[in-house]
Amino acid sequence: MNGQAFLKVAGMSVGYGPTTVLDNLDLDIAKGEFVALLGSSGCGKTTLLRTIAGFAKPFSGRIEVAGRNVTELPPDKRGMALVFQSYALWPHMTVAQNIGYGLKLQKHSRETINSRVAEMQELLGLSGLGNRKPGQLSGGQRQRVALGRALAIDPEILLLDEPLSNLDARIRLTVRHEIRVLQKRLGITAVHVTHDREEAMVMADRIVIMNAGRIEQQGPPEEVYNKPASPFVAAFMGAENLLPMQVRVQGDLIELAEGEYNQTSVTSRSGRPLTTGPVELRFRAEAARLARVQDVAMQGTGHLELRGQIASVSYPGGHWRHAVRLGDREILVDADAPYNQGETVKVQIPADSLFIFNTSTNTAKIT
Amino acid sequence: MRKNLLAILLVLPALVMIVLFFIVPLIASILGAFEVGDAWGLGNFRKSFELYSSDMIFTVVIVTVSTALIGLFSIAIGGYLTLGENPRAVAILRWLYRWPMFIPFIVVGQILRTFLAKNGLMNNILVSLGILTPLQTVGFLDWRGIVIAFVWKQTPFVTLLVAGAMASLDRSTIEAARNLGASRLRILIEIVLPQIAGTLLVGLILSFVTMMSVLSVPLMINAQSPTMLTADIAFRINAHGDYGVANALGMISLILTTGVALIYLRQTMKERS
Repeated sequence: MNGQAFLKVAGMSVGYGPTTVLDNLDLDIAKGEFVALLGSSGCGKTTLLRTIAGFAKPFSGRIEVAGRNVTELPPDKRGMALVFQSYALWPHMTVAQNIGYGLKLQKHSRETINSRVAEMQELLGLSGLGNRKPGQLSGGQRQRVALGRALAIDPEILLLDEPLSNLDARIRLTVRHEIRVLQKRLGITAVHVTHDREEAMVMADRIVIMNAGRIEQQGPPEEVYNKPASPFVAAFMGAENLLPMQVRVQGDLIELAEGEYNQTSVTSRSGRPLTTGPVELRFRAEAARLARVQDVAMQGTGHLELRGQIASVSYPGGHWRHAVRLGDREILVDADAPYNQGETVKVQIPADSLFIFNTSTNTAKIT
Repeated sequence: MRKNLLAILLVLPALVMIVLFFIVPLIASILGAFEVGDAWGLGNFRKSFELYSSDMIFTVVIVTVSTALIGLFSIAIGGYLTLGENPRAVAILRWLYRWPMFIPFIVVGQILRTFLAKNGLMNNILVSLGILTPLQTVGFLDWRGIVIAFVWKQTPFVTLLVAGAMASLDRSTIEAARNLGASRLRILIEIVLPQIAGTLLVGLILSFVTMMSVLSVPLMINAQSPTMLTADIAFRINAHGDYGVANALGMISLILTTGVALIYLRQTMKERS
């Protein structure tokens, strides 16, 4: 991370009643950074966001904004605005009243409020809708009103709690782009909670992947995508194909032992913290290539070649998806053209698309 | 055709009940209000206004004041149950506030009579605590006693409705206001109350109509004049056998409650549409 942390969470533990949701968690976020908290439901990402916002009290630890300890401050004294998953618009107020409420609470003059509300409506493409009630708006418009209400008070930090999950798929694509553009334009620091991998990848400067109350890995989208640090991250980032194997580590090389569906293959260790022993090997369906048995071997070195039968073929769009049977396992592999069901094929996985993790008990320490 | 017959058969018992026990007596009493001796006329109404116009105002004022206070208290209690931050206090209040609902009006009247009288329990306590001297004590067995009895008895009912509506609000609408810096009082008045106004109105109207028809409380607490219309109706019948004036008074209180019942109907129609 570059420079001083603007928003800092240090040694924080949070829970509800006797259950601890987050245990001793640390997170630093730089000014102007867009961070996505990514994880499946129940991983504690929303709890983390609500604790940062001040709606949940941590058992221990501190939260700092620009070096100022805000752990004990009420939600409105932290310079943060939260956009809720349900938008939480007030149904009895008009769009303009919703957006202007925060300014009214700050006792600004009516003219200031009106001009700021107009500015927000302009910014968010809500001009002319100021007198509507939330009930008369579409999902996307409500979402933008919620965003406008949060931005109107000019917060230093914008917190977004799955703000797109109630929108239908097509609108979601445009709105996530809009939010990202807006965030860059305003230079605001943003923390975005989501369970949608692609959404996090597209929007964030940095992705923080959470699992069971812990941070599994954090880094730029391309890093967590291409260099997952744990089996969980690999699976969450789409490397769903899983094969158990044996490896032997020799200096900078790893030897994948011969198995019932592969020959011995040697690949570069590339800094992977592996030890000799059983491993789980993961790769993405789109990273692997299919070839007929008689086809020539793949160029380059270090790739893994598997041999199996096509069990089924489907067309999800853009490419053909094949389920390939390897002994008693099945993997998914994409190809540009369909192969016949029952055909014996070679599955080739390039070295840099192989994610290998030790399956010994200390896997949790690979970070 | 047979399906229709079955439907009518199914509705019939309810219909008979309503006609027999509601519509027929109502029409009889309305007709009775216009019966003076053997002729039709407005004599009963003239007499009602001559004798009881101050009681009519008394009734409307008492019930209106009570309704307003009930509204205030139920908002305060419901608001604390929803926005209170001390879980123990909220739990205790939640447990306590419902009790008066289960006590009949007549018992409420009786309890408050012994409590509010000039030499009742309340003044005895105040005197023994040295807050008042015996000479300073005042009995509350007048309009104030009735208002206290009504508010004490009806607040839990309205609170039950109001607190239920508040509990089913989207909590994030409250948190969004807190996030922007609204105090709890502001949240209650500007965020919570407008969203549950319909429920509050319905609760208050039902309370209003209930209080208009209570006889035991005015009889127990305030049997002198002015008193409430219900006491007058009972008196006309029991002391004079004067059904004409009693019916006229009944119709007058019916007209008073019809006003608020119309608001209730409009509200429920609005909610359904």
